[in-house]
Amino acid sequence: MDRIECQWCKAQNEMGRTNCTTCGAPLDKKDLVTDSGWAEAPRLRDMTEFRFSSSTCQIEGEIVPVAEIALAQGDSVFFEHHVMLWKEPQVPMSALNTGGGMKRMLGGMPHILSVAHGPGRVAFSRDATGEVVVLPLHPSMELDVREHAFLAGTHSLDYSFVRIKGLANVLHGGSGMYMDRFVTHNEPGLLLLHGYGNVFQKTLQHGEKIMVEPGGFLYKDSSVNMNAVKQNVKTGLMGGHSMYLAEMTGPGRVGIQSMYVHHGSE
Amino acid sequence: MTTPPAQGGYTCPYCRMASDGGGGTCPHCGAPVDVRLKVSDSGWIEQPPIRDMAHIRFGHSTCQVSGMYVPVAEMALHDQDWVYFSHHVLLHTDPNIRLGNLPLKGGWKRMRAGMPLIMMTAQGPGHIAFSADEPGETIAVPLAPGRAVDVAEHRFLVATGNVNYGWQNSNVWFTTQDGDDEEWHYPVGRTIDQFAATGGNGLLLLHAPGNTFVRDLQPRQRILVQPGGLIWKDTSVRMFLHFEYPHGQYWFSSARYQAKSTWLTLEGPGRIAVQSVYEKPEGSGHVRRTSGATTHQW
Repeated sequence: MDRIECQWCKAQNEMGRTNCTTCGAPLDKKDLVTDSGWAEAPRLRDMTEFRFSSSTCQIEGEIVPVAEIALAQGDSVFFEHHVMLWKEPQVPMSALNTGGGMKRMLGGMPHILSVAHGPGRVAFSRDATGEVVVLPLHPSMELDVREHAFLAGTHSLDYSFVRIKGLANVLHGGSGMYMDRFVTHNEPGLLLLHGYGNVFQKTLQHGEKIMVEPGGFLYKDSSVNMNAVKQNVKTGLMGGHSMYLAEMTGPGRVGIQSMYVHHGSE
Repeated sequence: MTTPPAQGGYTCPYCRMASDGGGGTCPHCGAPVDVRLKVSDSGWIEQPPIRDMAHIRFGHSTCQVSGMYVPVAEMALHDQDWVYFSHHVLLHTDPNIRLGNLPLKGGWKRMRAGMPLIMMTAQGPGHIAFSADEPGETIAVPLAPGRAVDVAEHRFLVATGNVNYGWQNSNVWFTTQDGDDEEWHYPVGRTIDQFAATGGNGLLLLHAPGNTFVRDLQPRQRILVQPGGLIWKDTSVRMFLHFEYPHGQYWFSSARYQAKSTWLTLEGPGRIAVQSVYEKPEGSGHVRRTSGATTHQW
């Protein structure tokens, strides 16, 4: 039987479908890729629906999109509490202790993640113009995400956080002290991120490098090495400030967002 | 419709540069050539957004604009071409792009005005990309040799190496009285950037929040705009402040000091561009001194 492969998440879809059932990406539109190889995250059509486990997710709106999830019995999603836009009253809630309380406090990250359990509906959105990035994770994948960028993750994802190594990377990397890490084991999972502005993804080959403004970093495969590199360009009087870029070295995917606050001018 | 004529060239209504009109977009500014020219009844031309993945040509290089909320301008720089920009708009670069700096004069004044003290330069070959920090549109202003424009502070994204950069005091200010203190206000910013093409065609990329509208003013024709709405203007366009005081039924309902309207008068000849998102003008209180302003009490 003929199938259509989604260019974004590589899932196989039945012929005739216009949206990917796994990530919602339009199947009837060609991927938009810049000359240097950055692929635009697919612009999800308003009211696009896709599935995970026994549940569905619908993306509503275009400027600050809302992800509305219809949770089936036995399914759950976790998230930072302040991104929950609304919920049905009967949706049970619980808390997911992240561990590392002091570290997370130092890193400005929430100690506790909220969990919403099916059955019922719950919706999420962030606080600025941007795109919801849908990242289905196949089994045995590890993805590192800039702190405060994730919208929701499904119950089959293992959540942890990793310290960004190297003092220079912490001080000048523009991504804070920690990154969220999402890991799948035997089951696939679904991760929803919110990128400010527009989101682009590039797949780096082994050893391939790209320099990225640290504030623009959104996510990467854990196989991608990220290192803050000082640029020999002074940007202040008497050398008071220097500029750092994040050097990303493949192999793996790198996701960036086009709207950010430049970390050197905050 | 602005469809190109069957024979002869096509002149883009947005950037006024000539091309063959093929390829769906103007090669000089990226504006689509196959869309209806939208002009308001009062004469404002709506600048259409640059289409996703559209290319603009300059020198031996190209610029590709991608994204719609906060567009990214990705340049494929030839080794003979270079561009300059403020460091905080750099999004990503190939490691082999050569980054340098372009020192600017008047560092103290620029620092006080919140303007970058130096510009960075990037020399090809390779790819380098730029984006701003707020939703809006990327505006391409191609500059023919000898043409110059004034650009409001913080709108500049990147320019080609053959575009001369300068800046000067905007000379648009007023003061208000707050107790014993005199407060200074700069409705269009302390400084204004100036860009002029030399030698050959240059390209100037700006970023403006909201939507962009342009219009041509005839000699001595005036229009009032929100001071924070100005994006750029031809250098031939004069600007100065105008204060309006609406009249109420009673003396206490008339706007005198607190609710005055502060306008920027733009006087032709020349082209102006404004953005639909702007900061609310500051400066309530009695106006004491100005850089030169007109007043109207209704």
